[in-house]
Amino acid sequence: MDVAMDKAWLVQRLQEALAALETGDEAGWRVQIDALAAARTQPMMAGLSRLARELGQALGELPTVGHDADAEELDDACARLDHVVTMTEQATHRTLDLTEECRALTARLGEEALPALEQQQALERIRHNLTEIALTQSYQDLTGQIIRRVVGIVRRVHEGFGALGLPPELQASRQQGRTEPALAGPAVAGVDRHAVSQLDADDLLSDLGL
Amino acid sequence: MRILIVDDFSTMRRIVKNLLGDLGFSNTAEAEDGHAALALLQSQSFDFVVTDWNMPVMTGIELLKAIRADAKLKTLPVLMVTAEAKREQIIEAAQAGVNGYIIKPFTAQTLQEKLGKIFERLAASA
Repeated sequence: MDVAMDKAWLVQRLQEALAALETGDEAGWRVQIDALAAARTQPMMAGLSRLARELGQALGELPTVGHDADAEELDDACARLDHVVTMTEQATHRTLDLTEECRALTARLGEEALPALEQQQALERIRHNLTEIALTQSYQDLTGQIIRRVVGIVRRVHEGFGALGLPPELQASRQQGRTEPALAGPAVAGVDRHAVSQLDADDLLSDLGL
Repeated sequence: MRILIVDDFSTMRRIVKNLLGDLGFSNTAEAEDGHAALALLQSQSFDFVVTDWNMPVMTGIELLKAIRADAKLKTLPVLMVTAEAKREQIIEAAQAGVNGYIIKPFTAQTLQEKLGKIFERLAASA
């Protein structure tokens, strides 16, 4: 339906609704109003369907992560983000294990009269652990990719709502009215202007007598 | 000196535990949220609490308020170690009676400084 047709159609619906109302034709009046309401919601429904379809496609496009068996199960963004949490947690624990071992090894190296062979072995082990620690950081590449793709999906959904004329601010404020505002979480440089540094925090606390 | 470390991330608990160990505080226990921490504080003896703010079940600020409202626990020193970095939040924590506030990510040196400062103040007021 082009704009001129649309307008003519609208005028006709409104005139018929008015005529029905004036003659006390309740059913006829409702038919016209329902037709108008349907015309208003149809583009919205079409937009939402398109958004849902695009979201489905975007989710399908996400790179699979981990091993084959895991990859099958990771079929939505939430599962992928959970996977990021698990991956980072595992990498951190692995790194901490290795640093703890290195710490114990350096303590041994500090012992007097440690045989040359054992000294050599301890140094070799430390070198090996340092390489392992560096390798463990490779999780960042994988988690970074997953997070970027999920960010892309969120942006597309956000833009989709914008295209449907649903202002995100309104949605956000409605949300806030119902639930307590969430904590800000880690501050991101250039994004969170409200965040203060440790130095600012120290000044603030000393002003407060701490 | 027995210290309770409260954080929902096991890695952060481990990091704090290691840092405290390096500073000579090796007697520590861990809890994964404010609720679990409060249960431990009420059943065992602790001299110090290091807590995160944003945790499920019971947050660090709620834990702090609960500690200050408890006749037996109210003088327990509490150090907040958190990613929350809004002015209002720091003020809220101070008003709730926090003894120190560290913003994540933090360094071993910051932790050492804040602990030193808290112990100095406690010694001065004792």
